[in-house]
Amino acid sequence: MCFKNLPIDFDENGNAFLKEGLANPYEHKVVDLGVEQDKLKGLMERNGFIRSVDYDPVTRVAGALAFHSVVDLKEKKVLSTNSMATLFRGYEVILKGRDPRDAAYISSRACGVCGGVHATCSALAIEMAIGIKPPPLGIVMRNILLALEYLYDHPLHLFLLAGPDYSEEIVRETNPELIDLASNTPAKNKAVHGYENVLDIMKDLNPLKGKLYLEALSMTRVAREAYVFIGGKYPHPQSVVPGGLSVNVTMSTLNEVYSRLIKFFDYSQKVTGIWDDVFDFFLDSNPEYAKCGIRPANMIDTGVWDRPDAYDATFKNCNEWGNARWSTPGVLINGEVVTTNLREVNGGLEEFVEHSYYEKWNGHQFKTDPLGMPLSPNHPWNKETIPKPGKQSWRDRYSWDTCPTWDRMPMEAGAYSRIYLTAKAKKAPESKFLENTGHSMKIHVPKHQLPERTLEWKIPEHWNTFERNRARAYCIPYSAMVAMDNWLLAQKLIMNGETKMSTSFEIPKKGTHIGFGAWGAGRGFLTHHLIIKEGVIDNYQIVTPSTLNAAPRTPWGAPGPYEEAVLNTPILEKYDKPEDYKGIDILRTIRSFDPCMPCTTHIMAKESDHIVTREVTTCACGIE
Amino acid sequence: MGLNKKVLIGTVGYQLLGNHSVGPNLLPQLQAINWPEGVVVDEMNWGPIAVIQYLESLETPFERVVFLVAIERAHRKIGEINLYRWMGGLPDDKQIQACVGDAATGVISVENLLVIGEHFKVWPKEVYLIDVEPGMEIAGEQFTKNVTAQVPKILELTRHIALNGIRGSMKILELRGDTLFD
Repeated sequence: MCFKNLPIDFDENGNAFLKEGLANPYEHKVVDLGVEQDKLKGLMERNGFIRSVDYDPVTRVAGALAFHSVVDLKEKKVLSTNSMATLFRGYEVILKGRDPRDAAYISSRACGVCGGVHATCSALAIEMAIGIKPPPLGIVMRNILLALEYLYDHPLHLFLLAGPDYSEEIVRETNPELIDLASNTPAKNKAVHGYENVLDIMKDLNPLKGKLYLEALSMTRVAREAYVFIGGKYPHPQSVVPGGLSVNVTMSTLNEVYSRLIKFFDYSQKVTGIWDDVFDFFLDSNPEYAKCGIRPANMIDTGVWDRPDAYDATFKNCNEWGNARWSTPGVLINGEVVTTNLREVNGGLEEFVEHSYYEKWNGHQFKTDPLGMPLSPNHPWNKETIPKPGKQSWRDRYSWDTCPTWDRMPMEAGAYSRIYLTAKAKKAPESKFLENTGHSMKIHVPKHQLPERTLEWKIPEHWNTFERNRARAYCIPYSAMVAMDNWLLAQKLIMNGETKMSTSFEIPKKGTHIGFGAWGAGRGFLTHHLIIKEGVIDNYQIVTPSTLNAAPRTPWGAPGPYEEAVLNTPILEKYDKPEDYKGIDILRTIRSFDPCMPCTTHIMAKESDHIVTREVTTCACGIE
Repeated sequence: MGLNKKVLIGTVGYQLLGNHSVGPNLLPQLQAINWPEGVVVDEMNWGPIAVIQYLESLETPFERVVFLVAIERAHRKIGEINLYRWMGGLPDDKQIQACVGDAATGVISVENLLVIGEHFKVWPKEVYLIDVEPGMEIAGEQFTKNVTAQVPKILELTRHIALNGIRGSMKILELRGDTLFD
């Protein structure tokens, strides 16, 4: 009985039904955000240390995140936050009326990094809608392809995007008191990465010239090279189709992939060692760092990597094939697993637009899912995308992002949700390389140039900025070992002559067919909800990880994940006057989510005309 | 016709953006030209980092690079063609880092490509941009009449620069990394 807030109950056989006796079961409270704004205005007028700190977008590309906060620079506290997606994405509108077979190619363009997962989600949605089961080798190679995408994505984020925040250059500017301490703190993992002390690591995290920065650039190439053997090209693969992959795979392909994958064995040990040393240093140096970006571990994930003996693409069996995935789907509330069933993950989803630049739609076409679970009028299968540009107002509408919730709660998404849920739920199938203990994931990394080693990611006591990035670092060996499991399976299938890569299909020209694709991006949770009517796409809805993470307030006033995490962030940066304030603690927190919009942020301290520009960069798929 | 230089002709730009897609739209026509040995014609939209890594991996580097692009600039008529020569120079480290951030996350921009290439020292002495004024961004597969009328000239100029570099009294503008983002 996983829902506490939605009006859904379950009978003794586990069948969901709508609670009886409710006049308007999906009614929700709508709070006036103006009350909070008036209070803040009064505070700012009375107290000169309380200032508006705006991270306002100046960007040369489609897609931007901006952030508004009110900060008390004396008490070093954040008082109010608003997360803003400042551009309209519109893929939902573009896809309407098109042949469903176009969806994988078009939706792939929603992102310049994770095109492969968008294409895959699209393929999965069509597979479910019209009943296509890919052959085993198609499933296994899809798993390898997407593991490789993560192996591109995670080092990129850790060293190119988030990494500079922990570099010697930035720390010297924002917290110079840590530099001496870092030089006197021995690196615990010297055996795997070779650095004597933490300052040496921080120096090599310096952007553009640090060895770790440059090494990550070269590792992205290794992953990309392996990826194109299967996907044809990166970031928009040409071979991902409903029913499998449109590419032939031979032992020679597998060998080419293996010769790249093996490089991630040693790199996994190095990356986890580096980030353990850096994050432990920060957390030990000042216990207040544990409060940066802290929020309850409320997370959602779709799970990824299908078992070829379990995945049949049907909605009917989605709980079974979902639970058989190498990464377990589900929902965590306060760090506890409340469901691992894809049907419940799907059934609890809603999207609200009260604080977004969209018109509310009127329809409620699908009152239940195909097996009878009640669906809200705000569920993606019922949602319509009706853009309504308007004035930005903290009291009313301020984002192009919608506000997705699960069981009426804002949910966080990330690669880390994948490892957290899988470790906690202990439902993933047996693996030669992975072991889930309920409180950790043990990852047995085979030897390459370094000796074999068991890495262990432990569920942290506090869910904060540092732990998000630490978990992401462990997702590198996790993804590499899932790829290895699948590589061994692929080898076996080819040796047995099971070389078929895809199942042919035809789009039915009559009737209504619905499906959803659920496959995490490098940044976590991703769903594509699809309705085909009379052979064309009637509705298409995409919920990306950054749709969840960058969400504005719920209609009832609960902050979105970025908003909540920044709200809880203490200001630990050292500055003499407001003009010197750089906002590093806030920026580290926002970046720890791996935000999925390119964004240049301005920090403006009121009454000072002081503007600082900072980058919060990744891709643009979070923007609707 | 023989050519004693190894030359890269690269097209850069988003697809389906009307005049802004001059590079990708004219790629097939450029590839159809009977080029001498040593000339490579390819799209260069697959990310500046990947492009730089490709260039670094070549045993015999290119000696001349010609990019065909369409960048909206003030005070130009739609369809106007300018020839630029990359003169090197770099913006400050923060701007380079911003370019790398954009590049690593899928932004297609010849300016990012030039700056990152300069940072990693991959450019030969001769790097040219054939830059067509596209006007405002409008989604679509077709060029406007002004640009369509210029297609033969664009192809001929690309061919000429690729094979001969700068000859005679051609008007050439300079592009520098240290002033690119001013």
